[in-house]
Amino acid sequence: MGFSFELALFGSTIAIIAIMGFLLYYFAADYRRNLLGDAGSTLPKIESNTMLSRMKRELSFSAFIMDDSKSIGIRYLLLSLALFFIAGLAGIGMRISLWFPNPTFLTPVQYNILLTAHGTLMLYGWATGSILGITYYLLPSSIRLKKDSLGAVSSVMFWMFLIGSLFLIFSKSTASWYFYYPLVDQLTAAGGGTFSYAALIGVMLILLATVTSCIIFLKMIFLDRDKSIPISRLPLFAWSVVSTSFLIIASAPISMIADGFLIYDLINPIFFQGANGTALGYAIMFWFWGHPIVYVAIIPAFGLIYELLPRFTGNKIFSYRAGVLSLLLLMVLSGMVWGHHLFNSGLGTAWDLIFSTTSFIVAIPSAMSVFNWIATMWTGRVRINVPMLFIINGIIDFVIGGVTGVMVGDVGVDELVHGTYAITAHFHFILLGLTTGIAFAAIYVLFPTLTGGRKYNIPMAKVHFYLTSIGTWIMSGFWLVGGFAGMPRRVAGYFGIFQTYQDAAAIGGVILGLGYLVFLVNFLYSSYGPVEASTDNILEEVAA
Amino acid sequence: MRKSTPIAIFVVVILAAGGSFIWFMEQPGGPSTAGTQGSYNSTQLIVLYANALGWDYNSSHPNPTLYEKTHVLLEFKVIEQDNLPHTFTINPGPNESASNAILSVNIPPVTGTVTWVNWSFSNPGTFTYWCEVHPETMVGLLVINATTSNTTNASVAPSAPFTCTCANYQPQPALTPFFIRDVNEEFR
Repeated sequence: MGFSFELALFGSTIAIIAIMGFLLYYFAADYRRNLLGDAGSTLPKIESNTMLSRMKRELSFSAFIMDDSKSIGIRYLLLSLALFFIAGLAGIGMRISLWFPNPTFLTPVQYNILLTAHGTLMLYGWATGSILGITYYLLPSSIRLKKDSLGAVSSVMFWMFLIGSLFLIFSKSTASWYFYYPLVDQLTAAGGGTFSYAALIGVMLILLATVTSCIIFLKMIFLDRDKSIPISRLPLFAWSVVSTSFLIIASAPISMIADGFLIYDLINPIFFQGANGTALGYAIMFWFWGHPIVYVAIIPAFGLIYELLPRFTGNKIFSYRAGVLSLLLLMVLSGMVWGHHLFNSGLGTAWDLIFSTTSFIVAIPSAMSVFNWIATMWTGRVRINVPMLFIINGIIDFVIGGVTGVMVGDVGVDELVHGTYAITAHFHFILLGLTTGIAFAAIYVLFPTLTGGRKYNIPMAKVHFYLTSIGTWIMSGFWLVGGFAGMPRRVAGYFGIFQTYQDAAAIGGVILGLGYLVFLVNFLYSSYGPVEASTDNILEEVAA
Repeated sequence: MRKSTPIAIFVVVILAAGGSFIWFMEQPGGPSTAGTQGSYNSTQLIVLYANALGWDYNSSHPNPTLYEKTHVLLEFKVIEQDNLPHTFTINPGPNESASNAILSVNIPPVTGTVTWVNWSFSNPGTFTYWCEVHPETMVGLLVINATTSNTTNASVAPSAPFTCTCANYQPQPALTPFFIRDVNEEFR
């Protein structure tokens, strides 16, 4: 047998893969040894992982080949940050295209692709991903984790999350983030909903990763926390994780079942086809999860505010018990309000009134938390720094978003503003001001730890804060007014009478985008600054 | 922290955001041809029932040949009739060709759904309108004749409008959507 080029290529490919695998293993082992020392690196996996998850950790791509909690947290943080900028650019593209009533540079199909990408990636990728990241990173020190097991499961679930988000990006679905039935079932490549099945698979992978991670969080909190922390003195951040985890485990599987039905429907439409009158069935199953996910996005932010506020005001939280009660009530009540997304879908008057009432009631625990924070700030001495600015802005934005939420929770008002920009303004106030703002506040707090003792550039951080705060106000504020004037959302063009609102919102969106660009530049600039700060941070000193 | 980590994160984030945006911009099915529409001064309504057995299958003229004029906005009112997926596709020439279709619009598979497709032709010629899902049965000719002037202000009378004079033509009953209910139903 003579020389075979194919065989040589095949053999060398196998050899290169083997060498790369060995190098990866070697670098991982090397990094572990650097972190743990010679003695620690010979420990069994679970014990060394437990040691690792109690140590301070810097940003490093080695996190992708290690599976202790802190590494998983860094993985999620990096991924969700990338997804945030992908989805944010999509959002700014939509804003700019809406400068004139006739779409300027986006065709309706392109607009719908950007709309779907923005919605799915922001909610599933950024909100859920950043929460998973922060929780994986902070929970072990918050509850003094004594056994960091299940690292392999967490790692597999991270890769599922990553593949799911890639599915969402590559699917180019146009069905918006809820994948209602007639939208997903479109046929040709030029039409809406192309490859919606891929987006559905992506959503299912992300939900699977999220649910499994939440089970792991509950195991950490209830089984593996240190005995020195009784359940009555569990940190409020841990309580918020408990609340979120139960909420996700109770509701996400319903949506996964609906997504499974829907994927089958794309092949053989029997479950949710409109003519059978069951399109509403999908909507119900979807919103059973679709409403809790917005609470999933805000409850951990509540927990972070509860942890951060006392540090910046110099006293204890005003009422620990009220905080716990508020978080647990949010868990229970927010599972019962999903029907307010379907006021115009014909659930019937009786159901509409029930869901309207529960939507009013869910304002009570939210207000409990807000008053708790205000009382904490009132009784302490507020120290203003960048994370505190984000917190104050987040509380104000949450109040506005919450009040408008109660307004549209009324059946009669919702008849008028359903499907208008008023709804978009309502949840952008909350998700931009509270969820995103508090996540960036946490990143600023963790910055010295993540970068090994560097300080972030404070003027640039303030520019980031003011641009994003003002941008949120301009964009969502004009949306709110325009929405009550009847400006419809989710469309590539609009009537000329709404141009003032749309142009103002476009300016606000561009200001927002510049703000986050400043954050990125600040991150790059400050990471190469001198090592002058302590690597301690106030979120992890709870465990000390 | 390694020296290269922050710059790598920065580059990855920028590349991911920009690359994704370029990827989103590339419309599936190729660029839209919506820009090649002709100008128009009048409109013409054409009603078509989408049925897998043929366009307007229940009328006496299934798959009617339509005679229309250039520079007239043709408003196709496509009404779903049989719960099956259809497309409304138009391509130049007397034969079906999906590759050089002028337009292709999905008809939602819910009986009674009305899909509006507006188009105005700038050049005369013979065109084919058909359904990509049922190319054997749902296919008809669309003949576009030149208007001598495209500045006519009066509404142009159709040369061969689709009219239903047939006896066996059953107008579709008005669809009652499942979500329209008597709001007081629950309290009776």
